Amino acid sequence: MTIDTLDPLIHVPARLQIVATLAALPDGDALSFTRLQEMIGLTPGNLITHLRKLEDADYLTSEKTGNGPASRTSVALTHRGRAALDTYTETLRGLLNGL
Amino acid sequence: MNGTYDRGAAETYEDQGGLDPREATRLLAQTQRQAQRGLDFRSPRLTLFAAAVSLVAFGAVWLSVRGQHPYKGPTAVALVVLYAVVAMRIGSVVYAHRHARAGVSGRSVSQQRAEGAGLAAALVAVYVLMGALAHAGASDGVVYGVYVVTATLIVLGAFWAGRSAVREDWPGLGTSIAMVLVAAGSAFAGPRGVWLSDGVGLCVVLLGQSAAQAWLLRAPRSDA
Repeated sequence: MTIDTLDPLIHVPARLQIVATLAALPDGDALSFTRLQEMIGLTPGNLITHLRKLEDADYLTSEKTGNGPASRTSVALTHRGRAALDTYTETLRGLLNGL
Repeated sequence: MNGTYDRGAAETYEDQGGLDPREATRLLAQTQRQAQRGLDFRSPRLTLFAAAVSLVAFGAVWLSVRGQHPYKGPTAVALVVLYAVVAMRIGSVVYAHRHARAGVSGRSVSQQRAEGAGLAAALVAVYVLMGALAHAGASDGVVYGVYVVTATLIVLGAFWAGRSAVREDWPGLGTSIAMVLVAAGSAFAGPRGVWLSDGVGLCVVLLGQSAAQAWLLRAPRSDA
């Protein structure tokens, strides 16, 4: 097993933090963009870039509610995203055992 | 900016380089720990406050009833102290819960509302039954002493036990079962002693939970 077997979409500090934070929510729950940003400490632009990559891979979904300044975007991990984190964690464990 | 995606965003700098597996493990465990702490309203400090509340609230009532022969029930001053500290406890939980759950939406929010409605109905039923007991001629010692405090704590403990079991929160399940046992055992202390026994018993259980929470927060965990 090599480091290349780790999911490259998750194996980036910011995206690992995003996925791990969203995985702490129960299945079916979503977190607002603002709260996620506060918890991870990324700039809005950086967070959006990483969220877009994860959403394109169907690892998370986003939903925008309301209009104008009162609008709110919430993001949630999909089943595929949760499974990807589980696989990533297992692979990481395997790699560490092999070291 | 409130999270509208910029579809034209460039690849990030971080995509250029990977993480060492040990670093990744550390980061994953740290993030999971921080997320769980940030999204959970419970804390050792809040539990410590609950321990103090139970001692002060039940202690005040016990001081007001310990010399009563026959038993007539808590005095107005004792009830004011009881309700004031219980209101402070509820306020602290509501504040901590709102802070921890800010920005969270979805299934668990509606589940919590349904749980709250179920608990409120059970507590109302306790007090309706209290009225029925008084109406049926039960003594003040039973109605306003043993029954009201024991039934309230058993309902609260059973509710929390069910909630903890569903969420696989084993320390919470242990605490709530201990709470139910303290309430049931204290009923044998009679209408005056039940207040002291419940106050001290709950305080000990909650101090234990607070210590356990503090230990779990400090204990290093490797989830990967």
